[in-house]
Amino acid sequence: MSNDTTPQQDGNATRSREARVRGSRAMQNQDLDSASGSKIRVKGLTKQFTSKGGTFVAVDDVSLDIPAGRFFMIVGPSGCGKTTLLRMLAGLETRTSGSIEITRGDTGRPVNSMIFQGDSIFPWMTVWDNAAYGLRMRGVPKADIKETVGHYLDRTGLSKFAGSYPHQLSGGMRQRVSIARAFANDPEILLMDEPFSALDEQNKTLLQQELLRIWDETKKTVLFITHSVDEAVTMGDQIMVMTAQPGRAKVLIDVPFERPRHVLELRARPEYGELVYQIWDSLREEVQRAQRVEE
Amino acid sequence: METRAKTSSKEAAPTAAKVEKWGLSRRSKDRIIAVMSPIVLLILWEVTVRVGLLDARFFPAPTSIASTFVSLLQTGELVFNTWVSLQRLFFGFLLGGIPALALGVVMGLSRPVRAAVDPLISATYPIPKSAILPLILLIFGLGEASKIVMVAIGVFFPVVINTVAGVLEIDKIYHDVGKNYGASRWQVFRTVALPGAMPLIMTGVKLGVGMGLILIAIAEMVGAKSGLGFMIWNAWQTFAVETMYVGLVVIAVLGFLFSLLLNELERFIIPWKSDQQG
Repeated sequence: MSNDTTPQQDGNATRSREARVRGSRAMQNQDLDSASGSKIRVKGLTKQFTSKGGTFVAVDDVSLDIPAGRFFMIVGPSGCGKTTLLRMLAGLETRTSGSIEITRGDTGRPVNSMIFQGDSIFPWMTVWDNAAYGLRMRGVPKADIKETVGHYLDRTGLSKFAGSYPHQLSGGMRQRVSIARAFANDPEILLMDEPFSALDEQNKTLLQQELLRIWDETKKTVLFITHSVDEAVTMGDQIMVMTAQPGRAKVLIDVPFERPRHVLELRARPEYGELVYQIWDSLREEVQRAQRVEE
Repeated sequence: METRAKTSSKEAAPTAAKVEKWGLSRRSKDRIIAVMSPIVLLILWEVTVRVGLLDARFFPAPTSIASTFVSLLQTGELVFNTWVSLQRLFFGFLLGGIPALALGVVMGLSRPVRAAVDPLISATYPIPKSAILPLILLIFGLGEASKIVMVAIGVFFPVVINTVAGVLEIDKIYHDVGKNYGASRWQVFRTVALPGAMPLIMTGVKLGVGMGLILIAIAEMVGAKSGLGFMIWNAWQTFAVETMYVGLVVIAVLGFLFSLLLNELERFIIPWKSDQQG
C-alpha cells in the first residue's frame, strides 16, 4: 500500500513540460467545442427491457446538455439505471428511443473511452500493454504510443510497474491502470462507471485526488456516475440526481467549488457539508422509494 | 482479485520460512517427490521378482527389462520405432490441434456457430476412437496418413471442448473493454478470446497429447510395420515379454516427458497465471 502514495509525490516534477506538450492540443480542441456550445447532447433517451414478466423501464426520457470541459456527475441509488445510461453513451447498450450527439473536434480521436467498475484490465497483459490497448487497437504509430503511455504511467505512478501483470498489483493500482488506459486513448469524452466503488476509503480518496490532478491537464469532458454523494460533490462541476425505477433526471445542481481542488481540504469546508446535505435530501426519498419497490 | 492477492501473500510467508529450513522451494520439493515415487516402486518390483513373489515370465525384473532396453538401443530398433511414433504424434498433433483451436475460439465467440457445431461434437465425442480405426484404415490406407489421422482425432476433441469452455469463461467485461476501445473482430480474437482462454486451452492440449499417445499405440498395432505400437505387438507374437515392457516403459516415459515439457511451456505462455506460486 505504500506504493499508492508515490504518484502524488512525483506528480509535479514532469508536469510543466507535459502541460506544454499536451496543453496546446487540448486548447485547440476546446476552442472548437466552445464555438459549437455543447459537447454531449442527449435528448429523450429511453431504455426498456422486455422480459416475460413485462416491460421494465430502466432509463426514462433523460435529456442532458453538457458543455465541453465539464466534469459532469450523475448520482442516484443503485438500480436507478445510471449504468445503463452510461453504457448507451458508450455504445455498449442499444437505446429504445432518443438521441445522443457527441461533438467531435479532431476526427482522429475515438469518441469515448470508459473507465469501468471493478476489475477491467486484462489479466494476461502487462501494465504497459493494458495502458497501450486503445492506441494499439487503432493503429497509432509506435513512437506516439511510447510517448503517450509513458506519460500516463508516469502520471499514475505506475512507471515502475510497466512490466508487471495485474495480479501482482493491489486493487488501487489496477484501477490506476484503467485510468491510464482511458486517458492515453485520448478520446473526445471520458465515461466513468463508479470506478472507485470497489476500493477502500483511503484508496478511494487518493485516487479521486489523482484523477482530478490528471484531469486538470486536459480538462476533457467527463461523465462520471456514482452512488456516493460525497464523490459527486468532490469531483464534479455539475450533478444530476437520478430517480429510481424508472430512472429519470430529478434535479441538476451546480457545484461552486474552484479548481484545482484538494479533496481533504474541500471536505473540511462548511459549504461542502451543506451541499452534500442538500443532495442527500433530494436523494433520500429516492432511496426509500427504491427500497419499497424492491420489497 | 483483492482476496486472492491477500491469500497469496499469506502463503508466501511460511514458504519463505521453509526455504531456509530445507534449502529448497516448495516447487523443487514437489519435483523430487515426483521423481522418487517411481524409483521406489521399481525397487519394490525388482525385490519381489527376485524372492519369487512375482512370476518372472509375466513380470520380468526391471534389471532384465533394462538389459533388453540396452540391446534394443544398440541394434537401433528402439530409436527407429520411437522416432517414427514421435513423428506421427507431431504431425497428428498439428493436424488435430490447430483446427480444434481455431474452431474452439470461433465457437466460443459466435453463438450461431456454437449452436450449429456443438451437437456434432457432443455426438461424435463419445464414439470410442479405437472403434473408428477400421474406417480410418479403409479411407486412408495402411500408410502414414491413417496413423496421423488417428492422433489428430484424439487431439481434436479435448482441445476444441476446452477451448470453447475457455472462451466462454472469459468475463463479459473484457469483451466490453475490447468493444469500447475499438477492437475489430480479429483484434478481439487475438487480444481477448485467445489469451483469455489460454489456461483451459493448455489443459486441453495436455489431455490431447495423452489421448494421442494412446491412439498412436493402438493404430500402430493394427496397421503398421514400424513404431512403438508395432514393436509391442510384434513382441507379443514372438513372446518377447521384455521387449513388450520396454515398449510400454518408453511410452510411459514419453508421456511423462511431454507433461514436463507442457508444464514448462505453460509457465512461459501464461506468465500471468503460473508465476503466482513463484
